[in-house]
Amino acid sequence: MRAQAGMKLLTHNLLSSHVRGVGPRGFPLRIQATEIRVSPVDFNPDFVTRMIPKMEWTALVEAAESLGHLSELPRQLKEGYEKDEDFLRKVHHVLLEVEVVEGTLQCPESGRLFPISRGIPNMLLSDDEATS
Amino acid sequence: MAAPSASMDNNNQSHPKLSKTEKKFLRKQIKARHTLLRHEGIESVSHVTESLVVANGGLGNGVSRTQLLRVLERCGSVEALLMLPNKPYSFVRYRTKEESKKAYVTLNGKEMVDDLGQNITLYLNFVEKVHWEDLRPPVLPPGLMIVEEIVSPEDEKMLLESIDWTDNSFGQNGLPDICNSLLEKCLKGGHIKYIPDQLTINQYEPGQGIPPHIDTHSAFENEIISLSLGAEIVMDFKHPDGCTVSVMLPQRSLLVMTGESRYLWTHGITPRKFDVIQASEGQKSGIITSDAGNLTLNKRGVRTSFTFRKVRRTPCDCSYPLVCDSQSCHQNEAFPSFPENDKEALELEREYVHRVYEEIAEHFSSTRHTPWPQIGAFLKALPKGSIVADIGCGNGKYLGLNKEIYMIGCDRSQNLVEICGERQFEAFVCDALAVPLRSETCDACISIAVIHHFATAERRLATLQELARLLRPGGKALIYVWAMEQEYNKQKSKYLRGSRDSEEKEEHLNSGVLASGLFGEQNPGTSSHNSVCSISATNDLKDGGCNANGVINSKLPVHTNRTSFHSQDVLVPWHLKRDPMRDKHAEPLKLTPDLGVPHDPSPVFHRYYHVFCEGELETACRMLNNISIQHSYYDQGNWCVIFKKL
Repeated sequence: MRAQAGMKLLTHNLLSSHVRGVGPRGFPLRIQATEIRVSPVDFNPDFVTRMIPKMEWTALVEAAESLGHLSELPRQLKEGYEKDEDFLRKVHHVLLEVEVVEGTLQCPESGRLFPISRGIPNMLLSDDEATS
Repeated sequence: MAAPSASMDNNNQSHPKLSKTEKKFLRKQIKARHTLLRHEGIESVSHVTESLVVANGGLGNGVSRTQLLRVLERCGSVEALLMLPNKPYSFVRYRTKEESKKAYVTLNGKEMVDDLGQNITLYLNFVEKVHWEDLRPPVLPPGLMIVEEIVSPEDEKMLLESIDWTDNSFGQNGLPDICNSLLEKCLKGGHIKYIPDQLTINQYEPGQGIPPHIDTHSAFENEIISLSLGAEIVMDFKHPDGCTVSVMLPQRSLLVMTGESRYLWTHGITPRKFDVIQASEGQKSGIITSDAGNLTLNKRGVRTSFTFRKVRRTPCDCSYPLVCDSQSCHQNEAFPSFPENDKEALELEREYVHRVYEEIAEHFSSTRHTPWPQIGAFLKALPKGSIVADIGCGNGKYLGLNKEIYMIGCDRSQNLVEICGERQFEAFVCDALAVPLRSETCDACISIAVIHHFATAERRLATLQELARLLRPGGKALIYVWAMEQEYNKQKSKYLRGSRDSEEKEEHLNSGVLASGLFGEQNPGTSSHNSVCSISATNDLKDGGCNANGVINSKLPVHTNRTSFHSQDVLVPWHLKRDPMRDKHAEPLKLTPDLGVPHDPSPVFHRYYHVFCEGELETACRMLNNISIQHSYYDQGNWCVIFKKL
């Protein structure tokens, strides 16, 4: 049986719409999920600690919330989070274990929808939509 | 060592009691028998006959006639000994069965030293009938001509000394003068009909060769001429119906290939250190025949060839459409031209990159499983927790290599990305010109065998700009593109060596033999090739090839797999195997007598490539003002660059 792929929220945090003209306003993409799954991943506190500074925190929280997996994640990063294992576990869960299998990603500026199917986002634009 | 002896046990049943050595010998004898059957169709029998096949006792593996005869005659009177030039076995016929039996018993497993001092072991098996008469009198491939002593020893010396192997700008001013006088002479002598404008110089050391191939029809005109300097060599020509002819090319001779010999027969040089030639003819030109009484071995020297060709400007219109890339494969396709603008480039990429990968995704993925060591090393050296983008990730070969980093793959092909998904990798579909990732989020990027699919220099530069955009300051990008130079620093790439391990450059070794056994047929035995040093030059278009409007018809040439590139922009065939679980070894190709369709046709797709010249990738990277180049190198037929975001 083939396991289903899913887009992780870590990936989502890096994705940005590249419709012509939107620039940085193409982030973050709004998730509308019709199928989500939770897939356990080994907890690696070091890895999570290194990831956090690379994330857009607000966008991550919003995305988790939109999927119903906010699970007490604070809306703002507190100092000393590196030592807070409980906190790190929550971040780990949100970043790596929550996956979108089916749904859409929407460009906040242009409204353009990108489908997620079998866990794979299709971000291809048509010729006129793409940035020249 | 004698054949195993039988012994009786308590029940009076005879069964062989074999020692360890005897068992090993038996195994090897059986193996020899099977090999002969499988590869040569030689059926051994278990009853005694007058004829034996002597495995490992052939001209093809360094055993001379005199030597073998000496050994065989100890067992009885030899009526006939048949030794074929390229074969690692011979047939011997004794006058009586008693004598052949004696040979079978005493010579089996016999060790001897051949003419070159190598140890070999003979294995003998009885055969029913040797088809002595089946050997057709060999004929020179039609259209082939050899002109002896076309240059004097002084000229030969001058030509050899004029070569500068390190000169990359060779030919910028046209063909060297020293060649022009030679070509004029050939023209006046009636050996050639027109002056060629392209020259390739190859140097073959003993043990080196080149796989059998036909020079791409669409790339070059009818006449292809090759000057042999420094040493003689034997070149093998093979007709599609299997007939092989070995031809001696003497030192200082000119080989002229036209017509059938240029368009239909493949030619190649077997990589070995000696050739079989006719002792009576010495090093005179001509065919090496098998029924001469005295074939002998000729040690190879260093041969340098000057091969002159004339570049074609129009599609090939030869009389051999089945092997013609301008005619046969493309009967239903309007073949593309070199793109003149961005729109044409996009259309070309759509048809000859995107669509093709979608069609071949599964098969393609099955041939991409071994990560390349230097790329693996780059990924493994990255700090823990790095975010890495693989732009053009294909089937995700590199996405799971380093578990300590977070890798995201993206590719233009939905089907390939889905394979990544099945493997639980993070991946999405996008175009490399517009990667939907935030700027400066990646600690590293890799782009392996991707940029060479973009059809204009501007588009290729744009992909590099995207890579730079994705990197955070200090981040590194690793880029691999296919090199025009498939032989570099005397290291022939795996693509040309045709080793079974080299999947990267095309399909499995044998899948190229299927529908296009008529094209570059591969000999699995040549996987131990060494490199052949090679440089080439082409005259600039002076006049020819333009039609009345002065517009050059520049159709993209179709490349012959596993040969050197003659043009930077090419279409490379992919022979699709629909069931990737199929046996790796190709079925033996059976052609109908009229050279009709092979029994197992498979579709051929063409992928567009712009192969890079030395320095070209680096130069393109240098056009970015926000990076610095860390490392620039050549790896297995690819030009590679690592750059760092400033």
